Amino acid sequence: MTNTYSDIAARRRSTEFRLVLMAGVITAGAYTLASLGQNSVIPPRILPFLAALLLVLMSAHIGVRWLAQGADSTLLPVATLLNGIGYVMIARLSERLAGLQTTWTFVGVAAFIGVLFVIQRVNDLARYKWTFFFFGAGLLLLPMVPGLGFSSGGARIWVSIGPINFQPGEFAKVALALFFAGYLAENRELIAAGTWKVGRFYLPEPRHLLPLLAAWGFSVVVMVGQKDLGSSLLFFTLFIVMVWVATEKTSFLVIGLGLFATGATAAYFMFDHVQTRVAIWLDPWSRYQGKGYQIAQAMYALGSGGVGGTGLGLGDPTRIPEAKNDFIFAAIGEELGLFGSTAILIAFLLMIGAGLRTAMRTTRPFEKLLAVGLTTILGMQAFIIIGGVIRVVPLTGITLPFVSYGGSSLVANYVLLALLIRVSDSSARRLGEIADSATFGERFATRLAQRRVKKHPEELEAMS
Amino acid sequence: MNQRIRRFAVLLIVLYVILFVQLNFIQVGKKSTLDADSRNTRQTVRDYNDPRGDITTSDGVVIATSVRNEAGSEFDWQRTYPEGDLYSAITGYFTFGYGATQIEKVQNDVLAGRTIEQQIKGFGSLFSGQDTTGTVKTTIDADIQQAAKAALGNREGSVVVIEPSTGAVKAMWSWPSYDTNLVAVQDNELAGDVLNYLGEIPGKPLLANAYQERYMPGSTFKVITTAAALDDGLIAKESTWTDENEFLPPQTTDPIQNYGYKICGGDLPEVFRRSCNTPFARTAIELGPEKMVAAADRFGVGQAIPFDLPRPASSQFGDVDYFKQNLPLLGIGGFGQGNTQMVPLHMAMVAASIAHGGVMMKPFVIGATYDHAGGVLQRTAPTVWKTPMTPSTASLLTELMVGVVNEGTAKCCMSLANGVQAAAKTGTAQLNAAGEPERSHAWIIAFAPAEAPKYAIVVMLKGTTAEISEGTGGTLAGPVAKKVLDVALAQ
Repeated sequence: MTNTYSDIAARRRSTEFRLVLMAGVITAGAYTLASLGQNSVIPPRILPFLAALLLVLMSAHIGVRWLAQGADSTLLPVATLLNGIGYVMIARLSERLAGLQTTWTFVGVAAFIGVLFVIQRVNDLARYKWTFFFFGAGLLLLPMVPGLGFSSGGARIWVSIGPINFQPGEFAKVALALFFAGYLAENRELIAAGTWKVGRFYLPEPRHLLPLLAAWGFSVVVMVGQKDLGSSLLFFTLFIVMVWVATEKTSFLVIGLGLFATGATAAYFMFDHVQTRVAIWLDPWSRYQGKGYQIAQAMYALGSGGVGGTGLGLGDPTRIPEAKNDFIFAAIGEELGLFGSTAILIAFLLMIGAGLRTAMRTTRPFEKLLAVGLTTILGMQAFIIIGGVIRVVPLTGITLPFVSYGGSSLVANYVLLALLIRVSDSSARRLGEIADSATFGERFATRLAQRRVKKHPEELEAMS
Repeated sequence: MNQRIRRFAVLLIVLYVILFVQLNFIQVGKKSTLDADSRNTRQTVRDYNDPRGDITTSDGVVIATSVRNEAGSEFDWQRTYPEGDLYSAITGYFTFGYGATQIEKVQNDVLAGRTIEQQIKGFGSLFSGQDTTGTVKTTIDADIQQAAKAALGNREGSVVVIEPSTGAVKAMWSWPSYDTNLVAVQDNELAGDVLNYLGEIPGKPLLANAYQERYMPGSTFKVITTAAALDDGLIAKESTWTDENEFLPPQTTDPIQNYGYKICGGDLPEVFRRSCNTPFARTAIELGPEKMVAAADRFGVGQAIPFDLPRPASSQFGDVDYFKQNLPLLGIGGFGQGNTQMVPLHMAMVAASIAHGGVMMKPFVIGATYDHAGGVLQRTAPTVWKTPMTPSTASLLTELMVGVVNEGTAKCCMSLANGVQAAAKTGTAQLNAAGEPERSHAWIIAFAPAEAPKYAIVVMLKGTTAEISEGTGGTLAGPVAKKVLDVALAQ
């Protein structure tokens, strides 16, 4: 690239480099300790592991250096740290899954670099908002297709194509966030203005609001229908937050919360599985032999971890059902204690901070809303599942971003991260922190044009 | 929009602070409650999953060990008892949900490597992960234990062999027993069912009958009465008793009879070897309640046996006031009937104290404990518990007991291999009241060689079958004692 390497960019990238290295050292150290704790041996595959770790971290970092040199310097290191800690926990729980998670991490980082490469002008995405909606809606509906989708753990959110199983919903969230950002960036003032008088109230014109409500309603209905409570909750929150931020109308927040309360109450009385969730949230021991067992075990795990934790590889997290997945936070809390579990909270707060800072720095509504939306997905998803595991909110099955086992979740979150980093980089360019240079695509277009001009100089003259 | 974003940031921070507060509440505030919850198996699992050292006999036979389970099992280790039921009363069991018993219980810290000494020594291996578990070496001799089991067969009862000079228990066996492996299973529910079953069936296999139960000792108790009277000077070897088949003690009209209503009398060696009842009833009453009770006390009767396994029973004789009101019962007690109850192990200790010149050693079954490297953690030093009689009384009693073997109630059955001279006293404890079907325990206490005793033994057969009830201590318990002593002395 011919970008002028500005001081600010250089500083950000060297900070990121050091932080990424630290995340690598922590991951490698934790991996070794877990193996020592569990089997009293230095991990037999430590060298391939270190090689893979270094490859993942450096390619992601170099990807940012190459394609988004002005971006925030904390997003990538924190994400890789969470990914690393999650990997160590998964490897400690199941060697087989660790192998798969390695593959998913590689795919995730490749997708990360791919997104950074393909999407160099993030504002262009606003134009494809409806495409993103239909793409997202299609992904959401995919598990309902007979022969393709299947249920696992009570929720019909899986799709099986050939040998690959994945959860399209993880990607649908990102697509729908793109749609909301695009739609709201365009229509937010019209929605906020409220030019339609109904009695004493001024409401937004139905033609501005309805498409939004339809899109949102459709998605929520599909998720509830699939019994994917976690995603429904997350999606609901995402929508309300984005409308609120976009319109700057607190009334939307109030209406949204009212709708949520109504919907949640209705769901409670309509669905047995929702009632169960609430019952085991209030007292997991009342159904210890049934659905409450998981939460009770998570409580025991966290309690046995205490402040300092049992030590990696020395706890007993295999007793928690789904420890690798929804309950990985309890496994971390057991072996790394309050220190470790708090560190995870702080890591997510750092990502939220970086994400919202990005949203505030950029001047373009679409970028702002996109950054807010993506940060909401990340921050709220972590809150919903951690809160579910530690009984702050009723448990709704959903993955802990970057930490839980699972290919769809990991790859989707790396895509999300790439978009955030892209927004961050683009605002840096606009703020003049780094020189805004032509993207690959733009230079290609320029070169084509120049060649054309050389061949047919008369066209240029005709144009002028 | 930035203002809303800022508010949203604050909102998210608040949500995360709530998470942090709740984490503190769970991981710090409620930690002890959660750890103590009965449904929380984490600590037990951790204990159960740790490696655990071996328990061996004195000659190195492994009687309890831990083997690694194949990968994927619920627990990493399985406690196994290679000898099945042979050592269940000694090793006890180590279970996941039902705790541990016997050595598994009392030496848990050593076996799990948790004594302070082991922790300090093992500190260097904290990271290399070498196990710090310890080994417990018992005093049990595998051959003698095996012989005890074989000799007793399927009759209910107990056999205990002691080394008189140290108190080391060389064999301790009771039937019915149970296979410890059936309890130390991974399936907790199954373990519970097995324990319930074993707890309900007759014969109390879960109890180590040899030291956790007491039984009427019959005439074996005469050695205590004799020792008391000899030490008191009331009688001597030359004392004689007139021939009689019954004796009417004071305070009653119900006479005390000899076994089988036989006419019995003569000098001390004769009444002792023939096991007449009336001379010992007379002697006990003549000594009086104070002296008899004091003598029993000198033998440790009425006190918990200072054994190194859990919950030893204590033998019982009676107290002074009781006997003052019931002199006939003192007479009956003088030959081991009535309310007199002796723990089989205690009777072995009585025999051993005669063999050891009148000194009773504390019995022990844990010989030594070792750390993982084989270094001695603790070795049991033989200690004196009681000195129940003078050396001269002990040597006279030895002489009397040799008489029992050569010409008395044990003549039938106690001539040991290679001409080794044994000393013994038999006992047939009548459990039935007059007129009821015969029911009796058969006892023998013995030691050999008589001139330089190496082993003291008690054999006790419970009067649960007609075969035992119709026999006597000499004819039934005698052959068992002989078989065991022959094996022991052959070494």
